[in-house]
Amino acid sequence: MNTLVLFRSCRLFATMIGLATLIGCATTKPGETLYQRLGSAEGIANITELFVLEIANDDRVIAYFEDSNVQRFREKFNEHLCMITDGPCNYSGDTMVDIHVGMNVTEGAFTAIVEDLIEAMNKADVAIGTQNQVLDRLARLRPEIIYL
Amino acid sequence: MQANFKIIVASLLLFTSLTHADTRIKGTGGVSSISGGGGGGLIPWATLGGLATQDQRSITGFITRANVDDFTLDVSGVALNLHNRVEFSLARQDFTIKANDAEISQDKYGLKIKVAGDLIFGPFPQVSIGVEKSALRDPATARALGARDDDGVDFYLSTAKAWIDGPLHRTSMLNFNIRSTKANQYGLLGYGGDNQDREFMLEAAAAMFLSRSVAIGIEYRQKPDNLSALIEEDASDVFLAWFPNKHLSLTAAYVRLGDIAGAQNQNGFYFSIQGGL
Repeated sequence: MNTLVLFRSCRLFATMIGLATLIGCATTKPGETLYQRLGSAEGIANITELFVLEIANDDRVIAYFEDSNVQRFREKFNEHLCMITDGPCNYSGDTMVDIHVGMNVTEGAFTAIVEDLIEAMNKADVAIGTQNQVLDRLARLRPEIIYL
Repeated sequence: MQANFKIIVASLLLFTSLTHADTRIKGTGGVSSISGGGGGGLIPWATLGGLATQDQRSITGFITRANVDDFTLDVSGVALNLHNRVEFSLARQDFTIKANDAEISQDKYGLKIKVAGDLIFGPFPQVSIGVEKSALRDPATARALGARDDDGVDFYLSTAKAWIDGPLHRTSMLNFNIRSTKANQYGLLGYGGDNQDREFMLEAAAAMFLSRSVAIGIEYRQKPDNLSALIEEDASDVFLAWFPNKHLSLTAAYVRLGDIAGAQNQNGFYFSIQGGL
């Protein structure tokens, strides 16, 4: 095994990660909740609104929302996002399984929704590191959403 | 060969329905490895190339050039992804010795099957098994150096896991392979030799998405040393990949390939372009 080659490459990679750190994450304050980093109630409401607009313009998924009440979706998603990011809310909607059962949400439709949420967060100027924390928490719900 | 290749590519294109087959998350198909299958550059990963979901099929094509001190390696190929479960790949490698402009060519045929887990979702890593069959077009060099065979088959087990919220809150991935091989320098110098026969080799990769479109990473490939006449060393690379959209990727890397056929410390640059449908 050529450990010198490996060592040199690892060192170069570490340098690249170090640069990424300098560029990337200077904004996180300790003790701040994810909810606060998203801009608290106002920020969450803004992201929700932008998300609803992204979905409305997304031909890949709009069919799934044909029978949905947009106002109710907006309200419950807002509440859910608030709760899941450690904000002061209790989600009062139906379970993920109850909502999605019978809809046969495909893996592709799920990805499309993820992309719509990313786009909404981009438009709301949410930093990528904060976006990833939100996505990580929502991704855990995937088994309660797809192919039901 | 060129004609054959075109026919195969054309049939693959016909076979793949050109409906939207791009609904996995951008970047999760990785790029094209030098053997043709989805992965990094020097090694395959457990991920399957292209962005097909379990309901779709996708196809990727690529061109790669590695230019190190005394050699160049040109690779072109295609990979077909069926339902993110099975990947067929095909590649042609042309290896040029700069000193005398001599060329060694080989064909690579790959099959990779995802057997468990998922790269991103759920607690379990994605596990795939793969076979790579290689055949030299002209075995003269390999034979002269003492290789036993001019074709060979590699088997590998590959595991990959990505974390959406990884280190530094960046989406990051680790991949480990264990490969059973007899190849000398990826098969370009034949298979087997007087030193050793089939052995297990370890391969690893780590990658991080700095943004949704730009990833950096590192790869390591342990290699056997079968020919007593020559020293063969492990290879590694550090790469930067750019995914401007779901159908295109551009990869640049610095590769360290070690000693090759008596030429020491072969380092240089690697560029690859991949298109996908």
